[in-house]
Amino acid sequence: MRRVVITGAGVLSPLADSPAGLHAALCAGQSALKPVELFPLDGVTPRPAGEIRPFDPKAYLGERNLRPVDRTSRLLLVAAQQALESAGWTAGERAAREVGLVLGTTFCSVHTIAEFDRRAVQLGPSYASPMDFANSVINAAAGQAAIWHGLRGVNSTVSAGEASGLLALAHAADLIRAGRAEALLAGGAEELCFESFLGCERAGRLGLSVTVPFDARRDGFALAEGAALLMLEEAGSAAARGARVLAEVRGHGKAFNPAGAEDEASAVSAVARAVHLALEDAAVGPTDLDVLSLSANGSVHGDHNEAWGVGMALDGAGDRPVAAIKAMLGEALGASGAFQAAALLGTFGDGVVPGVLGLERTEGGFPLAGVRAETRRLGRAPRLGLLHAMAWDGQSCALVLEAPPEARP
Amino acid sequence: MHGRIAVTGLGWVTPIGAGRDEVWEGLLAGRSGFAPVESFDTARFSVHVGAEVRGFDARPWIRRLDPGRLGRASQLAIAAARMALEDAGLADLDAESHQGRERTGVVMGTTSGEPREVERFDDRYLAGDTAAIGAEFMGLYPCHMIAAHIAREMGIRGPVEMIPTACAAGNYAIARAFDLLRTGRSDLVLAGGADAFSRITYAGFHRLGAIAPERCQPFDRDRKGMIPGEGAAVLVLEPLERARARGARVYAEVAGYGLSCDAHHMTAAHPEGDGAARAMLAALADAGLEARDVSYISAHGTGTPTNDRLETLAVQRVFGEAAARTPMSSIKSMIGHTMGAASAIEAGVCSLAVATGRVPPTMNMEAPDGDLDYVPNAARELDVRVAMNNAYAFGGNNASVLFRSTEH
Amino acid sequence: MSEQEIRSRIKQIISNIAGLDPQRIGDDDSFTGDLSLDSLSMLEIGVDVDMAFQLGLPDERYKEVRTLPQMVALVQQRRSEIGGGVPAGALQEAVS
Repeated sequence: MRRVVITGAGVLSPLADSPAGLHAALCAGQSALKPVELFPLDGVTPRPAGEIRPFDPKAYLGERNLRPVDRTSRLLLVAAQQALESAGWTAGERAAREVGLVLGTTFCSVHTIAEFDRRAVQLGPSYASPMDFANSVINAAAGQAAIWHGLRGVNSTVSAGEASGLLALAHAADLIRAGRAEALLAGGAEELCFESFLGCERAGRLGLSVTVPFDARRDGFALAEGAALLMLEEAGSAAARGARVLAEVRGHGKAFNPAGAEDEASAVSAVARAVHLALEDAAVGPTDLDVLSLSANGSVHGDHNEAWGVGMALDGAGDRPVAAIKAMLGEALGASGAFQAAALLGTFGDGVVPGVLGLERTEGGFPLAGVRAETRRLGRAPRLGLLHAMAWDGQSCALVLEAPPEARP
Repeated sequence: MHGRIAVTGLGWVTPIGAGRDEVWEGLLAGRSGFAPVESFDTARFSVHVGAEVRGFDARPWIRRLDPGRLGRASQLAIAAARMALEDAGLADLDAESHQGRERTGVVMGTTSGEPREVERFDDRYLAGDTAAIGAEFMGLYPCHMIAAHIAREMGIRGPVEMIPTACAAGNYAIARAFDLLRTGRSDLVLAGGADAFSRITYAGFHRLGAIAPERCQPFDRDRKGMIPGEGAAVLVLEPLERARARGARVYAEVAGYGLSCDAHHMTAAHPEGDGAARAMLAALADAGLEARDVSYISAHGTGTPTNDRLETLAVQRVFGEAAARTPMSSIKSMIGHTMGAASAIEAGVCSLAVATGRVPPTMNMEAPDGDLDYVPNAARELDVRVAMNNAYAFGGNNASVLFRSTEH
Repeated sequence: MSEQEIRSRIKQIISNIAGLDPQRIGDDDSFTGDLSLDSLSMLEIGVDVDMAFQLGLPDERYKEVRTLPQMVALVQQRRSEIGGGVPAGALQEAVS
């Protein structure tokens, strides 16, 4: 079977605009959460969010016309540019050989579709913005990135809430393994906007007092935004062009909980199954893992289900160090899984696992001993990492990455 | 690992009816789904016709979830999924063992998900009443809820995925299901697409000047545009060996697929039909077939001047001399453009074409614009060994899926 | 409003949408030829011009406009039909 390696990464996050910057900021315990300035909080109790500010896309992308491109797509264009440069895929090479894109996103832009509708309703359909309509479809950002960066390979969009980023990595890995692509950017993008902010608040998902993952006091998550992409390539063709390998995608697994987050047994078993399938696909056992990166974000039920599900699947290896980066970054929905993966590459590089900022105590019987408030350096170079992401609709997606031998400190 | 993948069931809700036989017979008879739009006031638009799903009550099909707490696309999708399972002889899927349902997946496509939820949000926002926006917005609007709702309704626990690649999404979903089955990640996948009619989508295509005033005339010299529609279609896909072992009726097998991206323009296809041609060629290569092996093409055929011209050009490029004698029809001439459901409905058409030896017409054709055989105005009996399903989307997402008879 | 002012305002709209330097838009330029504007940009320009000058013209009228002189002429003609005269400040607000 074809092997899939990661040869580059690009990150645009509220904490940093590079993978190395993100890892450093996370390990330093910096918080991305601050009062929202991007839009007025009409009718929403103010809460901190992970907003990218300042954001000057032209500083990254040059003077090409950005008017037809909305915020979500702009975030993605920057991350894509960085990932392509990091992987050494020049414009000339992209013209000669196809690079594709698999993008994870929850909404693409709910703000753009809502704005389009509001203008049509208020001013009449003749005054709706055609460019907004083009950006209202959920695959718009992936299309914009393909046009901007000349990505003529397989292009797809997947939508799975908080699990979108990892699901995109899984899709991309599958396409490469099946011989349908040789090089794919994969990851996620999501913008912060009034519509999603209000929506999450009304759904009771935004925390008001404690948004710390796994903390017994938690009452919800803090919303965030950003974009991150990894360059996935078939191992042989990556080697042939002399690419530097950051990690290998060893395997992935998926499962769904149809019974809702409040049905603990059902939810926990779905998480456990996704993790189990990922380990099986990667042909590794729980005790082979060195580090875990989980998607806990302060959700009352979600964090519990994830911890207990991972604990069940890793029976015997539940003490592995755990990164829960949303403690610092907030919940960036479609981009989250990709942030988790990019940050894990940082841990592969220097053996440092970021602590869970603000963690005071976990709930009784908490099964994962490796969840700590403090950043720490691993005793031995990490080889295998497990990523997990779960979405509020019941999806769980798990991915196993392996560090290349020469990268291990 | 599973080898060949079969289509064993199909269910659909369309502007000309619901359920396999009603819709298939309607398509063969050239029934029109175009009528004045009813779900919102089109007074401020310069066109007023749409292909809505009228008079369909999804509630009898929704047995576990509360229909009142589902968006419209989800309702149509669940109905189509249950119809498909019944058609496949798997109506009691949700009574199956936990383990069986862990090996079952759902992959759906859509263009806009549940845009009516955005409309509701906006109506309240514009009225200065954001306090009235409740938990339902986040519960219903995100498009992945469509796949999630099908899975919740049926108790499905395997891969549940949403691929919102707009007007080609149905094909992308079927392609993904094909790969999930071939790699052994699932033993059964419900794959298809769904989209709901909305003022947003209508305003969008209206703003692009793309909507025809009365009817859709794909490939006709006088064609004036597309007609927005809505619907849902779900196919049951499973390994052929498994289907035969349980005595299921097999419509066709999925022979392969190809995806491509124009990387050219957000709303306009590559000027030489480049992306469309590449998707067709990739599909043929994937299936180990030549263009001349294709018996019938279900076209994207939206009825816009540009799409139909470029699609004809792409088919000519790929099929060469065989182009003029390969029947190609567009059911959008009857049911309009059902967005994310379109290529899933068309996949159903390809499966039935293979199974029954009949192909639907391109209706409303008065003067063909090109020398291809567009199957004008009347269905035809045809020995369909291989059917090609083509779909093209905004952002340049192109997908071709091939269906083949299992009798050879 | 003078023809020069109208032309200058339209150039500003084109510049906003297409990212072109207004100084480099020729008075006689064609949209798809000289300025390489794509279909989406043309539609957007039509909407913004209509709002900026409050013309209330149906969409189809803008499809026929292919050059800057034609657009200027359309605006002038329409404004004289409807008894033109919209304060410049209002224009600024209409298109932001």
